Parts: sequence; C-alpha cells; structure tokens
Amino acid sequence: MRVDDTDETQGTSPSSYEFGQRIAPSSKSRLIRLFRFAALWEGFLVATSSLRTNKLRTSLTLMGIVVGVTAVIAVVTIIKGLDKTVAQTFSSQGSTVFTISKKPQIIKSREEFIRFNKRKDVTHEDAEAIARLCTSCWRVGVAANAFETVKYADQKSDGVRVRGVTPTTMFDIDGVAIDAGRIWTEGEGDSGREICIVGPDILTNLFGGAAADRAVGREIRIAGRPYTIVGVLEPLGSIFGFSRDNVVYIPYSSYQKTFGSRSSIIVFIQVPTAEQLEAAEDQVRTIMRNRRGKIFADDADEGFSLETQDVFLDLYGKATSNIYIVTIGVAAISLVVGGIVVMNIMLVSVTERTKEIGIRKAIGARRKDILTQFLIEAVTVTAIGGAIGVGTGFGLAYIISALIGFPLLMSLASAVLGVGVSSVVGIISGLWPAWRAAKLDPIEALRAE
Amino acid sequence: MSDVTLATLPIEAALQQAQVNGQHRPTSLISMRDIWKTYQMGTEEVHALHGVSFDVNKGEYIAIIGPSGSGKSTLMNLIGCLDTPSKGDYWLNGKNVSEMDDDELARIRNQEVGFVFQTFNLLARATALHNVELPLIYGGIGSTQRHEMATQALKAVDLSDRVTHRPNELSGGQRQRVAIARALVNHPSILLADEPTGALDTHTSKEIMDLFERLHSEGNTIIVVTHEHDIAARAHRILSIRDGLIEKDEKIK
Repeated sequence: MRVDDTDETQGTSPSSYEFGQRIAPSSKSRLIRLFRFAALWEGFLVATSSLRTNKLRTSLTLMGIVVGVTAVIAVVTIIKGLDKTVAQTFSSQGSTVFTISKKPQIIKSREEFIRFNKRKDVTHEDAEAIARLCTSCWRVGVAANAFETVKYADQKSDGVRVRGVTPTTMFDIDGVAIDAGRIWTEGEGDSGREICIVGPDILTNLFGGAAADRAVGREIRIAGRPYTIVGVLEPLGSIFGFSRDNVVYIPYSSYQKTFGSRSSIIVFIQVPTAEQLEAAEDQVRTIMRNRRGKIFADDADEGFSLETQDVFLDLYGKATSNIYIVTIGVAAISLVVGGIVVMNIMLVSVTERTKEIGIRKAIGARRKDILTQFLIEAVTVTAIGGAIGVGTGFGLAYIISALIGFPLLMSLASAVLGVGVSSVVGIISGLWPAWRAAKLDPIEALRAE
Repeated sequence: MSDVTLATLPIEAALQQAQVNGQHRPTSLISMRDIWKTYQMGTEEVHALHGVSFDVNKGEYIAIIGPSGSGKSTLMNLIGCLDTPSKGDYWLNGKNVSEMDDDELARIRNQEVGFVFQTFNLLARATALHNVELPLIYGGIGSTQRHEMATQALKAVDLSDRVTHRPNELSGGQRQRVAIARALVNHPSILLADEPTGALDTHTSKEIMDLFERLHSEGNTIIVVTHEHDIAARAHRILSIRDGLIEKDEKIK
C-alpha cells in the first residue's frame, strides 16, 4: 500500500499487515488532527443519519424550538413592517400639525367618555378666534367627519368617510393633492354649493374604475343629497388594511346643510416648521382656555383636547413594545421547553447508543470526540428547528402582511439570530447528555445491548 | 514493587523483570508485571487478577484460555487498554500504560490495539468502508489517505467487493472480516481477539482462524482470548488462566 509519510519501513507485500508499520499522519493531516476535523465531520454524519433514522422523534423534538423561533421571527418581521408603514403615514402630515377637539381621539375609560361629553362643542367660531389671534400658526382649518353611504346611479358604497372642510388649505394640512379636476373656490365653499372632491376608491367602487377625469362633472348622492364631483384626489394608499382613499371631501358649509350644524368640529392647526409647534400650541391653549373661561392651569379639565400625531405614535410605540415583551416571553418559554425536550431526547439517544459509544471508545475515540459528537447532534437538531422556525416565521409574516397590507421587511439579522439562539439552546441542552456519553466506561458500554 | 519470585518465571521474562525493577524499559512488546485487578463488590473486595506477570514478543500468536470467571476477560480488558490495573505495571510497545488517563488510553487503543469482538461490534448504519475508516477518523488521518488505507485493509481480508455494504447485508463471516480489517487498518502493535469465532459456524470459524494464521505469518502479533481448546490450539503459545492467576504458559509450536 502507498502511504505518503511513514516513519518506519513499509511492508513489501501490498496486502500484508506487519506489526509496527505505523502510519504517521502527513503534515497536512497533522494540522487536521489539531482541529479534529475528521472527528467533527464524523459527528455531523452520525448526527444527521441518526436524525434521519428517527424522523418522527426528530420532528417532535424540533417543535418547541420551531414554535419559539417562529413566534419571534414573525412578530419582529411584522412589527418592522408596521413601523415602516406608520413612519410613512404619519410623516405625510408630519409633526407640524396639531388639533383642537372636544374629545381626544383615544378615550381610555367610560369615566373619561362621560367627562369629555360634558365639554362644550368646538365650533367654527373657536377656529376663527385661533386663526385671528394665534401669531405662530400658519394654517388653520376645520374638519368634521361622517361615515355615510354614497351612491351613483345604481352603484352604492357604504361607510365612506365624508369630510367637511374649510378653508381649502385643509387639503394642504391633510397632505392630499388633486389628480384630476380642481379644488373648489373659497366662494363656492362658503356659499354651501353641493360639490365634492372624491378619493380614488370612489372611482373604483362607483364608476367601475373609470379614469379620474371622466368622473369629474358627474353627480353622486351623499346621504341622499346630490353632489357634483369637481375633483379627484391622488391615492394615499392604506394603513393596517384600512384604505385612506375611501373619502369624499365636501365644503364645511355644505356638510352643515347635509348633516346639521350641531356636531363638534376638529380644528387643524399647522405651523411652518416643527420647531414652532410648541409656541403655537401654547398660544392656542391660552386662546382656548380664555374662550372656555378656564384661566388657571391647575384647573381639573381644560374643556378641550389639544393633540398632535404623537399621541398615535406614543400609543403605537407602547403597543408594539408590549407585543415585543410578550413575544420574547413566549419565545423564551418555548425555547426553554424545547431545550428540555432536546435534552430528554439526547439522554434517550445516549442510552440507546451506549453500545455504539463503547465501540467508538474501544477503537480510540476520546472523551471529547464523543462529547462533540453528541453536542453536534443536539446543535444540529436545534439549528434545523431554528431554520424551520425562521422559514415559518417569515412565511407567517408574509401571509399577515399580505392580508393587512403593509411592506414585508425580512432581515438577515433576525434569521441569523433565530438560528444562532436555537444553536445555543442546543449546546446548553446537549451538554449534559453529551458529557454522560463521554464519560461512559468503555467496558460497560460494550456490554450494553 | 514486585513480590513475584523470579524463579516462577521463564528465564527471558525473569531477565526482563529484572530490567523493569531497575526502571528499564522492557524490550518485549507486552510486559505485564504483577498485575492485580480488584473490584469493590459492596463492602467486599474481589480480586479478579492477583499478580499476573508475562511477556509477549513481537510476532507471537498467543491464545489466552480459561473458564468463565477465571479473570480471562479482565486480563483481556487490561491488555486492550480498556482498563488499568489496580496494581502492577503494564508496558505496551515501550509505553507504561498502567498509569495513563482515559484519553491517553484511548490514544493507545487507537494506535496500538486492534480489537476483534465475538459479536463483531460494527456500526450498523455505517458501510463496511466507513466502519474500517473509523479508527483512522479518531486517529486524525486525512480523508484521502483514510479512504486508501481502509480500502487496502478490506482488500487484505478479501472484501474488496463488499466495500459499500452495511453489516446487515453481510454474512457473519464477512462481518467478522470487516471487524478484522478495522482492527488492522491502523497497523496496531497487537491484534486482540475476544472469542472471535463465538458467533460463527464451524466452517466460517475455520476461515477466520485461517485468516488469523495468515495475518500472523505476515508478521502481526495476535492474542486470541477463548474458552475453546481447538481455537486455542491454532496459536503458538497458550496462556491458561484460572482463578486470577496464570496456571500454565506453554509454547506449543
């Protein structure tokens, strides 16, 4: 036989096995011996073959890890997508806009609801006072919302947001733009003409997706009253599955004619830059307190609500951080349970393969060879579990994002983290079983059946 | 360290014993000096071996024979470096094995000892080739060289056409020959066989014993542990063990 580096003379006959014909590893394999690559690879082969042999057991073992990693990956991916949507949505109005309203947009309790209902309505006069007195304010507008049925010929659409606005700078404050037709003039708006500007969803729902300019001039019915379309808005898209384009803008005076004048309005105030927001808020607050007769700052209730978009962002931030905490908790529990399952199965595996361990030890496997073999097996199981978890997590996030309608942001970092954390779980839960295998007495192990 | 009377030993052994006592490395391949093995059974101490001494030279073909409970298996475990003696010195190929730790013993088993077991002890899921490669894997031999050596070892036991077969696709005799190839692949100092024909029929037994004879003629040192006298009779020297002592040490060829 031909062997590269032998430190003793080789046998003459190719098939002879003479005593002491020791093979010294070549310099290359000496290096390999340092890393014990062969033994590591052997461990991996053994691990995969044993996992293949016990498919059912392996898949059951994987479950805990898969569930944990799936939960984390899905939630992280979904929330990242939501974050992006939220950031995009709120930046269209931005932090230069705040509102004055009778009730805050988020009411936390029945008591609050009752208290806010006792407040005076915010009226057009309030808006005019603010526009007149607030020097830091740039644009002031009012808006009132109703959800109504809108009809065209025999087509109808329910739950359309009808937004009565004045003056026309409200379109700028809302951050919407005209796609076709025009904005009504202030004169038309103030005279209470029954004209409207519709969102793109109206075209889809009532005009069978007709081109925007073909809808201009048509007459639709809002709460039973005829309105002529003068313009069509550019699309804004949707947030959390709710379209922001299912809207009809009408002049506020027309809104009062159609829906009555007794409802409270919301005053929108915009400042040129975010730095001026605080000054404008202070001015408006003072003006409104004066108008409500609330002079003292320590008064229990101001009688109105001043809000910025930050309330949404705060609420959103709190909600998502709670979701994160819950998910991490769920993931931690399933990883711990998964780890215990892996440890249990590894102990069974060690017991089952006692004979094999004995054979390996008899022919020269050292403790660390056996230790690494079983550690590799445990890590292989959990890493596969982690990889499956990453896959199903992304899959789940994909389905949910498609259903709700937000961008899917799959990050490599979370995939690496998912597999990494589950591998660590594998090492931790495999350590004890592997150590038990490693310190088995070869004689007793060989005796096992 | 030794209370063995030199007179009870053959003359060569006695000379070597003197050298061991003088802390010289013995020149023989195996040198066992006053080996004791004691087990703790509850509160009682059981001596499986009490003061065994013998030497084996390179190229010898030895049978160790004895009834069950004679200490024969204990002795085999010691020779094979699966265990260390409670007392006494065991030199294998110039190395004092009796004081080695687990991992050093594993190294010695890998390099110096080739085991052949009664029940073959092959890995069921591995091919013949992989089974034979296993000692080389733990010896840190690179894959190309490993493959070559294992193929060569299988050829040496006439199993070149069964390389990719798994144990359950092989007959008993073929399995034992795979085990022998595995034992030989690392070119060990000794081939240690424990009842190598115990699970085989008469015809196959003869084949395996013929193979041992050939391997011996090629220069290998072979130790066969058996309770069958006709198997022992194939060897050139018989060590008879009884009650933990060497009862008889006779050269028969």
